[in-house]
Amino acid sequence: MSFDGFPPFISAQLHYLINHFHEKIKVEQVSSGGKTYAGGLDRFTLHIPYCLDYVKWDIIYNAEFPFASPDIIFGPEDEDFHPLHMTGSVGEGGSKFRNILSDWNHKDPTRLLALIQELRDQYMAYQKKRVGEVDDDRLTFEISTICSREGIEMQISSGAEKPKEVKFAVPLMDMNINKMVHGFPWRHPQKIYLQVIYPVGKKYSSTPSPPRLKLMSTAELGALFSIEDVKLPSWLDGMCMAEYLPHLEESLQKQVVESVSLIDVRRRFIESLTPLFGRPLEADPVFCGKATFLASSGSFVFLVHFLISTQFPKQRPAVMLQSSQHISPQGIPKKSPLLSEYPWSPRWEASQMAERIFDFLVDESLNFKRFCNESQPQH
Amino acid sequence: MKMEGIEGDASVGGAGRYTLNPMRINSEDILFCVDVDAESIVEMKTAGITRLDSIKQAILLFVNSKLSINPDHRFAFATLSKSASWLRKEFSSDVESTIAAVRALSAASVYSGQADLTNLFRLAAHEAKKSHSQNRIFRVILIYCRSSTQPHHQWPVNQKLFTLDVMYLHDKPGPDNCPQAVYDALVDVLEHVSEYEGYIHESGHGLPRTFFRFMSMLLCHPQQRCPQDDCDIPKPLMKKSAELANGKDNVHVSTTSW
Repeated sequence: MSFDGFPPFISAQLHYLINHFHEKIKVEQVSSGGKTYAGGLDRFTLHIPYCLDYVKWDIIYNAEFPFASPDIIFGPEDEDFHPLHMTGSVGEGGSKFRNILSDWNHKDPTRLLALIQELRDQYMAYQKKRVGEVDDDRLTFEISTICSREGIEMQISSGAEKPKEVKFAVPLMDMNINKMVHGFPWRHPQKIYLQVIYPVGKKYSSTPSPPRLKLMSTAELGALFSIEDVKLPSWLDGMCMAEYLPHLEESLQKQVVESVSLIDVRRRFIESLTPLFGRPLEADPVFCGKATFLASSGSFVFLVHFLISTQFPKQRPAVMLQSSQHISPQGIPKKSPLLSEYPWSPRWEASQMAERIFDFLVDESLNFKRFCNESQPQH
Repeated sequence: MKMEGIEGDASVGGAGRYTLNPMRINSEDILFCVDVDAESIVEMKTAGITRLDSIKQAILLFVNSKLSINPDHRFAFATLSKSASWLRKEFSSDVESTIAAVRALSAASVYSGQADLTNLFRLAAHEAKKSHSQNRIFRVILIYCRSSTQPHHQWPVNQKLFTLDVMYLHDKPGPDNCPQAVYDALVDVLEHVSEYEGYIHESGHGLPRTFFRFMSMLLCHPQQRCPQDDCDIPKPLMKKSAELANGKDNVHVSTTSW
């Protein structure tokens, strides 16, 4: 991402923040506070990941007075968030924050990151305090049973129209998923979270309704398995999180292990294509989710793309053909639609699957060749 | 040509069974170096189309194919006359910018006289270091058009920072030219500089279709290649019975046409 238009001192701090913050921060609503725009851009909104959502903080520098630390405006729901005045067990944090501001050095690119990290920690403490103050017996009980788990984030959300709710983001499973997949697949650790949302009520009713539950994961985990496909164990009457979470983690553990073993099932499938389709031009060696081959039909040469989902072999691969010789005047290559109307059974041997797809494509490639030549003669 | 499988997939092609090893491969930065000597505007067999016209088309087809395999591959462009110089230095995976670069390709009006590849390799080595720091590999695809000028270079031995592929378009061999000697020289260059197994194809037929076919074979990812002699693609998609009965429909273009 480039930050054109910012004065160098702001750009350096923003770059450092984006590159070193442990999660992905978005920068939006960039503008200039100055009347003449001569100083450059000096205001923006940061979307900072928190509790499986984002908090949006406006950061206001002054390009014409670079020595001053930036002002920060928090969201409208957080009127009571005063990091400068935090007392009690986080009083130390309050003074740490004050020190960052008073020692502000605009030439030090690491300052904005230090500021934001400290503020986020303060924000987490502030939310924890607010949640702890909620007058709801059940919630208080739930919090007490899970607060020893590492890494939980929580947030109270309320608005004029909405009832008050408490949201928890619970990281699941101590498994190091990254290590389970051969080939060093991901640069960042992949994690799974359970989002738990409780309505805040005054009385402990006789049959408390189950909280809203949603599984979420880091984006790149999708190459291994789809979090949407995971069926959550049911929340039985009278259950609490301390009971539910181990169930869920056990089931997720099984799911991850199975997904890892399915990688090799896809790998064997790709390998079984090679006697018929030749060596692939390129194949995904880590998740085995795609492979492209080069094929011919007479003098017509084309690419054959295989897309193999995490549901393979229950779900058959999708195939797409692409001409290596035809291109539209707009520079767009000729492609077939995704083809999957071929005979299939998940119980076949990989070699038989390959043969059936091959036979199907022998015919399909003739259709495709005709389609390519009709719109444009072959070179 | 020997196989140099330094990293990545070292599975054997051809005779051995193919295995897809669970070893990460890198996205590519590919530098096209197009020979723009006056011989690049020799006509192909199709009337009205020069070698350079076909090269432009081939590059567009290649880039589109490569991006459909992995949209993270990137491309830049240089030209070769006496020596190599940049046409578009910034690596990009944007098709529009490829189209613009290709449009800017034009032939020199004179014969260059010589082809010194040293600067090309210098540029490539410099860029390759940057690519490596971004977890990418670097490849040069040289498209060469001269039927009598052997390329030369002063590149040190053991500086193998990038893969080199060559596509050689030339006239039919005759008493006034020496495409075989040029081809042999290109093979030597490839073996000297290439990090992974480099591929070289040549064509003296003047058929764009043959040229495009060879270019498609260069789509192979360097970290997943087999030795060129074992290459068996593209495979013809035809019914088994037809293949046995009708050998002549099996268009298998041989690599030498002397």
